[in-house]
Amino acid sequence: MATKPVTAADTGLELVRAPVARPARAGVWTTVVRFTRKKPLGAAGAMLMLVMVVAAVFADVLQTHDPIATDAAHTLAPPSDAHWLGSDHLGRDIYSRIVHGARISLVVGVLSTLLGSVLGGIVGLLSAYFGGKTDLITQRILDILQGLPLLVLALVMSAALGPAVHNVIIAISIPIIPRAARVIRASVLSIREMQYVEAARALGIGHLRIAFGHILPNTMGPFIVLGTAQLGSAVLVEATLSFLGLGVPEPYPSWGRMLSVSAAEYAQKAPWLVLFPGIAISLAVFGSNLLGDALRDTLDPRLRGS
Amino acid sequence: MLTLFGMSVVIFVLMRLAPGDIVDILFAAAGYVNEADKKLIMKELGIDQPIWVQYVEWLKDVFTGDLGKSYRYDQPAWDVIRPLIPVTVELAVLATLISIVLGVPAGVISAVRQDTTLDYVLRVFSLAGLSMPAFWLGMVIILALVSWAGWIPPLTYVSPRENFKIHAVQFMLPALAVGYRSSALLMRITRSSVLEVMREDYIRTARAKGQGERKVIWRHAFKNAVLPVVTVIGIEFAFLIGGLVVTETVFNLPGVARFLVQAILWRDYPIVQNLVMFIAVIVILSNLVVDLLYGWLDPRVRFAD
Amino acid sequence: MAARFMLAALSVAAAVLAAAPVSGQAPKGQDKGGAAKPAAKPAAARTAPNVPSPAPHPNGKAGGVLVAMHREDLAQGFSIHETATIATVWPGMPCFNNLVIFDPFKPVESMDTVIPELAEKWSWQDNYRNLVLFLRKGVKWHDGQPFTAKDVKYTFDMVREAPDATGKLRINPRKDWYANVQSIEAPDPHTVIFHLKRPQPSLLMMLASGYSPVYPAHVNPVEFRTKCVGTGPFKLKEWRKGEFIEFEKNKDYWVPNRPHLDGIKYIIIQERGTRFAALQAGRLDISFPGEATKPIADQLKASGAKLSFTLVGTNVNDNLLMNIKKPPFDNVKVRRAISLAIDRRAYAKAVHQGGAVAGASMQPKPYGFWGLLEKDLNALPGYGKPADDKAQARKLLAEAGFSPSNPLRVEMGTRAIALYVDFASFVINELKQVGIEASLKQVETAQWHPMVTRREYQMGANLTGLGVDDPDGNFYENFACGSPRNYTDYCSEQVMQMIERQSQELDTAKRMAMVSEIQKRLEMEAARPIMGWRLDYFPMWPYVKNLVPHHNIYNYGRMQEVWLDK
Repeated sequence: MATKPVTAADTGLELVRAPVARPARAGVWTTVVRFTRKKPLGAAGAMLMLVMVVAAVFADVLQTHDPIATDAAHTLAPPSDAHWLGSDHLGRDIYSRIVHGARISLVVGVLSTLLGSVLGGIVGLLSAYFGGKTDLITQRILDILQGLPLLVLALVMSAALGPAVHNVIIAISIPIIPRAARVIRASVLSIREMQYVEAARALGIGHLRIAFGHILPNTMGPFIVLGTAQLGSAVLVEATLSFLGLGVPEPYPSWGRMLSVSAAEYAQKAPWLVLFPGIAISLAVFGSNLLGDALRDTLDPRLRGS
Repeated sequence: MLTLFGMSVVIFVLMRLAPGDIVDILFAAAGYVNEADKKLIMKELGIDQPIWVQYVEWLKDVFTGDLGKSYRYDQPAWDVIRPLIPVTVELAVLATLISIVLGVPAGVISAVRQDTTLDYVLRVFSLAGLSMPAFWLGMVIILALVSWAGWIPPLTYVSPRENFKIHAVQFMLPALAVGYRSSALLMRITRSSVLEVMREDYIRTARAKGQGERKVIWRHAFKNAVLPVVTVIGIEFAFLIGGLVVTETVFNLPGVARFLVQAILWRDYPIVQNLVMFIAVIVILSNLVVDLLYGWLDPRVRFAD
Repeated sequence: MAARFMLAALSVAAAVLAAAPVSGQAPKGQDKGGAAKPAAKPAAARTAPNVPSPAPHPNGKAGGVLVAMHREDLAQGFSIHETATIATVWPGMPCFNNLVIFDPFKPVESMDTVIPELAEKWSWQDNYRNLVLFLRKGVKWHDGQPFTAKDVKYTFDMVREAPDATGKLRINPRKDWYANVQSIEAPDPHTVIFHLKRPQPSLLMMLASGYSPVYPAHVNPVEFRTKCVGTGPFKLKEWRKGEFIEFEKNKDYWVPNRPHLDGIKYIIIQERGTRFAALQAGRLDISFPGEATKPIADQLKASGAKLSFTLVGTNVNDNLLMNIKKPPFDNVKVRRAISLAIDRRAYAKAVHQGGAVAGASMQPKPYGFWGLLEKDLNALPGYGKPADDKAQARKLLAEAGFSPSNPLRVEMGTRAIALYVDFASFVINELKQVGIEASLKQVETAQWHPMVTRREYQMGANLTGLGVDDPDGNFYENFACGSPRNYTDYCSEQVMQMIERQSQELDTAKRMAMVSEIQKRLEMEAARPIMGWRLDYFPMWPYVKNLVPHHNIYNYGRMQEVWLDK
């Protein structure tokens, strides 16, 4: 009907567009400082995550030994100058393996969370937006996937796909999909009814454009919160799968697998085999959880209860 | 109902997609493979048919009450599973109780004393519990016990009727390990729920009316905060069963969860099928209970038209 | 009835007399009574009822339940004939009896240490072509039925898959052990005759292994997957899946005043770390054969627990599979280069922390009977000076056409179990040092045998447990052309002939020389390079008496003589 394209700005809907008030464009550093002061725990979490990421990215530089090189002369060596965190029963350096393990755990954790959340988010978004029968059927399917505990489904999937890194990523992402879809769907449902969306529809803007252009940006808050929450889960599930023998295969040093079998056997003689990988996992998950909490508090206080 | 059906299909197909089957494993125990014998055994077990044929057969059996025979143990699947159920259920219940006892009060205290040192300490402590891998916690506990006390938990399952003391000791540690982790989740939910409620108008009204702080908290805030917590407890219970997998393995308890891992590794389809369906039923039941409880607790729902 | 017996006895006597001039010099240990006679007919062994040599701790006290360790739940129940793993044999042995058995008190097993069990005496006839066994009378199965020769014929016809066998095994790993048996005859209820196609003294060794129990003819073999009916010293009391297996004393056991124990309980502990913690804490009395590696033994010793340790060989070796039909492994130079690159002594140290010994295809001395001498071993690829061997490996690889710009790339398959992975990791590391780029491919256990059987691998980390320390058992199974377990497809006409010849050789010294030659050939041609032979430290509490571990994990689980001093 309009002769020239009408933008949201023209209609004055700009103001309604962002229900969450954002501060005026602040510098990056100022934001960081403000964040740290307001949410010290969150900042600590962010620090931990940063350390992990650095370790993962620069593993080759940070290592002191080749993580898969065996050394018969120095098996089960306690922490010392030569082996900062000791060595395992094959003489492999624990510190280097943990540093490389960060890479594996983070890659698997992040990719599976991303994959699961994005897919789940899309499913949830479309399902909520179109509503009706689509919604109903999708809900049923999601019910099925979510009906099982995360670990159980990941176990079966991992066994079904076979031991390989990409299979583990898929196996962990599948159970995340319904959980992500649920959260995004709830968020979308609440936004869908908002007036500015109705207005956009009235203006004739296409479904998909509304979905991805207007609604999606407003689900970013819950999405990020969901992402960080699931990241912790994903890392834990990967560790558990590796511990049970169904996760990342050799030779990739996975923290979870470092804790399985061999470590338990020599635990009394060489407790560092058990302590350090476990601490690594705990710190990684801890950091992601702290960061996630803080982000949630900052981005959308309304969601604190969920 | 439909959900259960769907789940059964998913698990059925997934397991059969998994490379290798029970016959491979049996031959592995014998150290060789004989293709002719293998075909015979597969025929005997019925796993040489196309997947959909197998599924139809399974459905038929289920409707006549036959839940299949374990490939590994050559006995009816349900007979093999039944003795394991009480162990897992008991562990789950104990862990849930511990998590409630630890988590809810911690959450309330943390919410009431928000942003104080106590709050931070409690939050860090509970978050640590959520971050530690369940199996690692178990390993460290056992390692500590063996190294310092030269003592390990009893090895074979002792039922409460046989010897209550040993039984209690046997279940205490794993229940604590699992309970601690669950309590973290509960604590966080309780905290945020209480915080949410505390902001509500009626709380401010109560305060303004001069009612004692404690009364305000317990009479008004808590009762209303409890609802989402109950929901979470229900969901937690189901989630627990998954977490019990590693705990039962590490503490050598003969439960359903540990057995599931074994059955998956052994491609013992009937057992996996039955166990997963069983877990699914438990999850659905617990959701139902939670819904009912929610309806009962929330007067708004109870008195809805 | 009596007439038939007389006829049988007469015919046997006649056969014995007829054989007298024909049989050559009897090998050591066979001829108990006639050592003085030059053309000695192989006489019967001991006639006393199953009396092993002097026990280390005689005057056993009756009573008590032995609490043993088991590492996993049973795969096929008690069906020893359907599996090839110690996990079935160890808890199964107390339930059964063999025809003959290895003396429980002698760690080194040989023809000399075979003593009677269900066969109270035996006699080789016709130059080791016929084995006549005289069975004990008055022995009952656990369900009360009498034990007769029919059961023996039934069992071994079933295992060798005789065309007229009445029983059938679903899985039959040891059919080849009895490939040389022409027929089995049971002329009367207490006599069994094994008719062989050609002389084979080793048959007796195979019958003495824990892998050769006698099954009852009146019980379907399928039942053994859930329960156990044998003639042995213990009856199955309860098998609680995933938890424990419990046996109780067989009050009607045919050996008077045996067993000493009231029962045995095998506790299933799947968690490796917990197993030995439990032993240390005194909740278990004994270890599981082959499980106590050196680091574990060291840990136990350091803990201060007053356990007793017995260092024994296990007759289990780690070996390297190479798909000989696939290039470049069909080139013996490449194979030998690979074998040269792997320092066997370092292997024992790295992968087993010193709890393994280097040896060729037969278990090395002093654990095994047929092991090569030290000087012979040192001349084999991988047993010499590591630097020299690796240099030679590089030379051979260059001759085969590989160089730093064109390196040999291989994929090393392994089962997803810690020990195999460690094995493979070490080998990959060694190969790297001679310019071979090896990558690790982990395969789930269920996939391993099918993959290997279909020859869909290049190199593999393998483990072989030998039920008997006998060349026949080993060579036919693993190195004979066309054998199902010859995973590498190694096939040499010459070596086959050597194997056939040693199998029929009655003179032990001559046979020893032949077997040494075969071992050397196999290692030089890198048919299946042996990495090392595992050792076991078998810890147990000192109050467990008369349990003497053998240099073979499969053959000392009967528990008939064991007693508890507490």
